[in-house]
Amino acid sequence: MSNSAPTRLPQQPGEQIDRTAPLGFTWEGKRLQGFAGDTIASALMGNGIQVVSRSMKYHRPRGFLTADYWDPNGFVQVGDEPNVRSGHRLLEAGMAVDPQNVWPSLDRDIKAANGLVGRFLSAGFYYKTFIRPQRLWPTYEKVLATFAPGGTVDLDTPHGYYDKRYAHPDVVVAGGGPAGLAAAIAAAEGGGHVMLVEHEHRLGGHLLWGDEQDRALAAELIEAATRAGVEILADSTVTARFEDNWVAIVQRSHPVAVERLIKARAKMLIVAPGLIERPYVFAGNDKPGVMLSGAVRRLINQYGVKPGDRAVVLTANPEGDAAAADLTRVGVKVSRIVDARNGENVVSANGSSRALRSVTLADGSEVETDLLITATGWTAPTSLLNMSGDRPVYHPGSARFYPSAVMDTVLSTGGIVGDGTAEELVAHGTATGRLAAARAAVTAHRLQAMTARAAPAVGDEPLWPEDERQALARNDHPELFRSTTHGIVDFSEDVGSKDLVAAAAEGYDSVELLKRYTTATMGPAQGKLETVNTVAVLAEARGETIEEVGTTVWRPPYAPISLGGLAGRVFEPVRVSSIQPWHEANGAVPIVAGAWIRPEHYGDPAAEVRNTRENVGITDVTPLGKLDLQGPDVPKLLSQLYTNKWMKLAVGSVRYGLMCAEDGVVLDDGVTGRLGDDHYLMTTTSSGAATVWEWVENWLQTEHPEWQVHVTPVTTGYTSINVAGPNSRELVGRLVDDVDLAPEAFSYMQVRTGTVAGIPDCIMWRIGFTGELSYELHVPSGHGLHVWQALLDAGADLGVGVFGLEAQRIMRLEKGHFIVGQDTDGLTKAPATGMTALIKLDKDDFAGKTELALAMDEEIPGLVVAIQPTDPTIVPEEACQIVRANSNEIIGRITSSRMSPTLNRSICLGQVAPEAASAGSELTVVLVNGRRITAKVMEHHAHFDPEGERLRG
Amino acid sequence: MPTSTPRENDSVASSHSSGTVPSGDPSSEGPASGGPAFESPINKTYPAAVGALLSLGDESEVAKIIVRTADGTRAADQLGVAFGASRRSDSVLICGQRPTEWLVIGTAEAAATFVDGLDLTGHVSVIDHTHSRALFRLTGDRGRSLLEKVCSLDWSDQMMPDGAVCSASLAKVTVDLVRNDVDGERSYLIACDRSFAQYLFDAIVDAGQEFGIDVNS
Repeated sequence: MSNSAPTRLPQQPGEQIDRTAPLGFTWEGKRLQGFAGDTIASALMGNGIQVVSRSMKYHRPRGFLTADYWDPNGFVQVGDEPNVRSGHRLLEAGMAVDPQNVWPSLDRDIKAANGLVGRFLSAGFYYKTFIRPQRLWPTYEKVLATFAPGGTVDLDTPHGYYDKRYAHPDVVVAGGGPAGLAAAIAAAEGGGHVMLVEHEHRLGGHLLWGDEQDRALAAELIEAATRAGVEILADSTVTARFEDNWVAIVQRSHPVAVERLIKARAKMLIVAPGLIERPYVFAGNDKPGVMLSGAVRRLINQYGVKPGDRAVVLTANPEGDAAAADLTRVGVKVSRIVDARNGENVVSANGSSRALRSVTLADGSEVETDLLITATGWTAPTSLLNMSGDRPVYHPGSARFYPSAVMDTVLSTGGIVGDGTAEELVAHGTATGRLAAARAAVTAHRLQAMTARAAPAVGDEPLWPEDERQALARNDHPELFRSTTHGIVDFSEDVGSKDLVAAAAEGYDSVELLKRYTTATMGPAQGKLETVNTVAVLAEARGETIEEVGTTVWRPPYAPISLGGLAGRVFEPVRVSSIQPWHEANGAVPIVAGAWIRPEHYGDPAAEVRNTRENVGITDVTPLGKLDLQGPDVPKLLSQLYTNKWMKLAVGSVRYGLMCAEDGVVLDDGVTGRLGDDHYLMTTTSSGAATVWEWVENWLQTEHPEWQVHVTPVTTGYTSINVAGPNSRELVGRLVDDVDLAPEAFSYMQVRTGTVAGIPDCIMWRIGFTGELSYELHVPSGHGLHVWQALLDAGADLGVGVFGLEAQRIMRLEKGHFIVGQDTDGLTKAPATGMTALIKLDKDDFAGKTELALAMDEEIPGLVVAIQPTDPTIVPEEACQIVRANSNEIIGRITSSRMSPTLNRSICLGQVAPEAASAGSELTVVLVNGRRITAKVMEHHAHFDPEGERLRG
Repeated sequence: MPTSTPRENDSVASSHSSGTVPSGDPSSEGPASGGPAFESPINKTYPAAVGALLSLGDESEVAKIIVRTADGTRAADQLGVAFGASRRSDSVLICGQRPTEWLVIGTAEAAATFVDGLDLTGHVSVIDHTHSRALFRLTGDRGRSLLEKVCSLDWSDQMMPDGAVCSASLAKVTVDLVRNDVDGERSYLIACDRSFAQYLFDAIVDAGQEFGIDVNS
């Protein structure tokens, strides 16, 4: 370490570090000490560390350039977290900080050999070199990956807690400098909700590294903002603005979350990001020791760090002059002030790759120094304005871009729109805040007037306030982008001005093309430091002005957001029935069906089937869709929805219906029962419940608004329990005494209401998919578990058991009931199900009638049929293809298959071409392993009890 | 199972009993007090939160009756509150939760009394939603901040004043929500499909961790 290394200064008047709170940390394993309030960068420099990284492509040693969030040279690894911005991240006790992208060490980095062949690593090098032979690309990729920049990701790092928040502020102010603070205060004075978002850890902007008066003003403004009730979000960034002022705010410092994305719908957005200092392009401009004026002012005034012993200052503005004054004040010898306003200039920075030795000036003189400070102008960070539709315009007199568009709901203030003293900036900010608040009030009035739930809007809507603010001045500033020599333009991507000139000569001379071809402005700084210089170098190469060349469009995000922040907390809703606690306590194996968690089985589905067929079983069918239908026109609605007839369904009766879309394709099926004169209950498939509700509402709201029908989903209002098996009547009878269960009083396809196990208002259906005598009990859900338990208790001597979804599926397949969406598909029209008797073309109208009328005469591509393999031990997998014998021509497929515990053989449903679908036809099924087996088409869909004697029992 | 809680759902069906299904005993009143207790959809226990700024309670047992009718019927006049607003009548809360749909919340007796008093002339439907909907009460000034973490609506006093009613998506679950302050303290009633109740309850508890949230179930 030389004598000229940076050191810690004695206490500075405006410093933000707490010297009574030392914090230990390590750098490359070496123990060092910083203070609370230090950034990692200031702590490193306070310890004499100047070289902190290697550049991306040439692996040149780099020191801090801006010493803030945007520093392209300041990326470090902290513990298991890569790519930490050391100029921004605050030091914490015990941090293990390391350089990244170096091997074996920062000091001796072998990849620096890239620098020796630098002239071959020109723009487009990868595109040109690794394009062929194509087969070698995987090899290239592996090698290149070792050269990729960035730190090390530890895949075992625990997931952090990330969060998301929605907000509807009246005004969002992006930027907490003097103008932004003043705008927020003025906007909040009327009582509106104002969010002030500051990128840095502290509010105040450039006042923080100014003089005593500046710091006093900052303190005064911060106090006023707090008093005015401004919601202050420090260490947060307005990172994007979308349509209708949908503003994305990344909140990095949050007490609970690692990071939080705030989705704010702001009535007004005030853009007040200040200005970003621009680096200067000349030979050697990336040597450690070359720094921007803002960097040294921050280091000296905020962190008490002396950046070196001797300095040359290239200045074109008062901020550069102030940097020279700061350096002198803290004992840095300012050997030479190079005043660009007088035509003086710097030509090159000289020295080894690790340290600056001297600076060569335009007049030919060479000055020995260990620091070169440049203050050559500003970049206006107009990102949020670009995202709002603005195309900023270059102003040569002050050598920077300004917003050009006038926007109703987006206003700008501060350095981005002009120059001024702190007081002038505050005055402009105040006027902007007032205007924003007045406009927000108009929008608020409009929103309240149009929203039913809102508090009533008082009075007439106010007039939209005009913008009568006095504009800020634009101070003269020399145009300084590149000296007479070439240097680095994009420090993040290692792109030099020579690369840009060469790319322009190759024909990439549009700024958008040049950017993508050379990757200039595409690194982590995303153009904050390098865009204007890139444009200026291109303009020079094209022999045009900057206005003629134009600039690239800044797109979101302004500052990065982590994937965790984008995801926030993950919401994955799940649904359970009232009986779920019992299922969980009794060994149910869960299955996810849509959002529902259901019991698939309780250990042995085949045994569950056998017990149901022999004794009695109960199963939880709560997800079954249920729609309460009330009104005099329900029969018309049902006739419209189903293919069969509904005008004469008696009270207490139930009918099965097939529902088709307008194209005749089967949409859903289920039973509907008539509970009262004008009261029906429709059931749908479990997965089709939401679709059918929407379908019903569509008919009622758009096609037949004159029909008097109220449809209300009551799916989970009832816990649905199917009681099936030869002993089911006996079991249900033990719990019901107000409904006559005798077969002649309550027969198959009928519905009753009554009391089950002491719970009134239960609905009992004599229906079922198992093929057994069965009752489906719909119990008010607040008592579902009670009735479930009562059934188990009452039926112990009847052999009652439970069965899960798998047993349900086996039994429905034994009965040959198809499942919409499994045994049918998006092309299956109703006739293909074999249910032609349910298609009543003599009805006036029903959904799908026109298509079905045609389909009845058409060749049906695939008929649903029951199939049994010749070898009863083979269960063809679902989706196995059915082919023509001795050929590979596909004529169908297996849609459902199981081993039947009842028949002790394999059974299937499938879709088969009509010529092979007649009963007794022999089919060839190709198994997944390629083996061909034979199978037979059955006479009935039902493999078991085709006459239905058991269920009518 | 405890059997001390009286049933709260024994009277609503009578409001449209003209068309009920024949049953063994059409005048069935169900068990009197001493019948099976209402089973809450919330089956977990939660640690106590000391110094919590928010409280969350499960009030699913409260009677929730939907009345559907068009504006202009006598029932609509009796309900007497516009879409998006709520009002208290005796001991029930009447919420205009859709343009042609009201939710009546209260004890079983109070809700039944109110609904029985409605004139059902015209196309009026009454549906007992007590068992369909879970109901939570979220109380505390930071309730707004919590809702901002799970929902994209504007919860400001201007857009959601005391008494306001809205439908919303909370943590991706559709809910009906009423701002129903208690003694001047910000409070929300949140109703969701019973099957989603445990999930949504947990999502709200999780969102409330940063403020401290006390669960009184």
